[in-house]
Amino acid sequence: MNFKLQRENFRSKKISAKEATQEAIDKAKKDKFNIFINHFENEALLKAEHIDNNFDEFKDLSLSGIPIAHKDIFCTKNITTTCGSKMLENFVPPYESTVTKNCNAAGSIMIAKTNMDEFAMGSSNETSFFGPVSNPWGKDLVPGGSSGGSAACVAANITSISTGTDTGGSIRQPAALCGVTGMKPTYGLVSRWGMIAFCSSMDQAGPFAKDAFGCAALLDAMASYDIKDSTCSKRKEICFEKSLNKNFGNLKIGVIKNIDNLGINKDILNAYENSKIVLQGLGHQLSEIDFSELSSGICSYYVIAPAECSSNLSRFDGIKFGYRSKDQKDISNLYMQTRSEGFGDEVKKRILIGTHVLSAGFYDAYYLKAQKVRRIIKNKFEEIFKEVDLIFMPTTLDQAFEKNRESSDPNRMYKEDLLTIPANLAGLPAISFPNGLKNNLPTGGQLIANYFGEDLLLNITNKIQEVTDWHKMIP
Amino acid sequence: MDKIELKNLLFLARIGIEDREHPKILEKLKNTFDLIDEMNELNLDNIEPLNNPLELNNVSREDSNNDRNAKKNFLKGSPESDEDYFIVPKIIE
Repeated sequence: MNFKLQRENFRSKKISAKEATQEAIDKAKKDKFNIFINHFENEALLKAEHIDNNFDEFKDLSLSGIPIAHKDIFCTKNITTTCGSKMLENFVPPYESTVTKNCNAAGSIMIAKTNMDEFAMGSSNETSFFGPVSNPWGKDLVPGGSSGGSAACVAANITSISTGTDTGGSIRQPAALCGVTGMKPTYGLVSRWGMIAFCSSMDQAGPFAKDAFGCAALLDAMASYDIKDSTCSKRKEICFEKSLNKNFGNLKIGVIKNIDNLGINKDILNAYENSKIVLQGLGHQLSEIDFSELSSGICSYYVIAPAECSSNLSRFDGIKFGYRSKDQKDISNLYMQTRSEGFGDEVKKRILIGTHVLSAGFYDAYYLKAQKVRRIIKNKFEEIFKEVDLIFMPTTLDQAFEKNRESSDPNRMYKEDLLTIPANLAGLPAISFPNGLKNNLPTGGQLIANYFGEDLLLNITNKIQEVTDWHKMIP
Repeated sequence: MDKIELKNLLFLARIGIEDREHPKILEKLKNTFDLIDEMNELNLDNIEPLNNPLELNNVSREDSNNDRNAKKNFLKGSPESDEDYFIVPKIIE
């Protein structure tokens, strides 16, 4: 489903908000991919009716009359928010996240909340307490993660837009595996208030849509300065939708030297070569860049993210909110059993890694070192962006893979994020767009820009989508 | 990491994993640390650690009262509470 057309239909009164919402709800109820954790039929229809009854007030808003699904990591006031965990199975937040509040204010209608890896920790959506999500391109395949439900929702044409969060690739990787467009903005562009924390120095919310146009309109709604998030930037001054028509001229785009050595699947590399030709055809100049530090990002990430996660998740103790283990007679056992029963295996593992790397004897050997590697990555990007305007590379090493994948490399799942993690470490904006089918499955291309270069990313992706039909492929 | 270190770690993180699962979790942790240890091949001399990508300054605001009925809202979310308190198992004998 195309966002632009859907919004035009609403604005021209061809289709009412209520009709669009009812259609999305009907499709969502027939979902065979386990995309959703909770549905909100009545609330959604009421809001749609309100929008139809007050058409003039809503018609010019960026998301006017559009049904949307939110990743179940965003707190929604008086509406269950699970974060894919047993720990929060029955958690009803007393407040609204800034992202969902902004989307509501922009005229969108939340029909459901989407499935995700538990606490956003995973790259295949298999760690969710509510069961794995299937990829609409193949029922036995994973949709990627952690925002797998949100990516699958757009891929399956249930809604035209959805929200996600990206800590190490959790928007871009599922976007690539499901054949949709997804963007991680600059760290700080979108408020983290009310977004359940995993790794606070990297977590960033962003949009999913079929194309750059939908992403631009959704990001316009999501991004705002927010005093409630001390890392939120005041830089949101551009209208991303309008910037799609801007002419940025001929750009210099950096492509990674010796990219064949990174373990990327050859079909993905083929697709990548095709889009390099498209970029050249649009008048841009490709320039080889040396980024040998790229693969070190993953080591740094798997220290810093677990470290921050172990600290952030220490709040789940069974006392003030969330799950509590039954019949515990002693406070110490209550903490221990609540956390043992409430968290899944992957979350426990990351808490253990984080606790280890932050403990007195190992802080310098791991945590401090990882922060130094993070500095190296950031410096390298700064150096590269003195030479080029954008960096282009594939989004993932593999296309959508089978559930319960066995691999001879026990770290293969973590390495899935090899190409997405560097942008998170440096806090840079990056977009993944459909890069053509191989083996009848999507591939993803990734563009990375300098800080607050979202307008450029969306503009160039839009130009690519004007001359290709990769984003129009449906499962 | 050996079994004794793992037990200490589980205690620090307040996570209980049954003894028979320990070899499996040790193996998983070892695999991850093998990946992390590739960091040691880099020269990190004279490099300042980076803890936040944008190196922003802190934001402060007036410490003012607001009209949220915080107590009622927050107690409502607790697994066990009464009108004024969170209820926990007895701590002092």
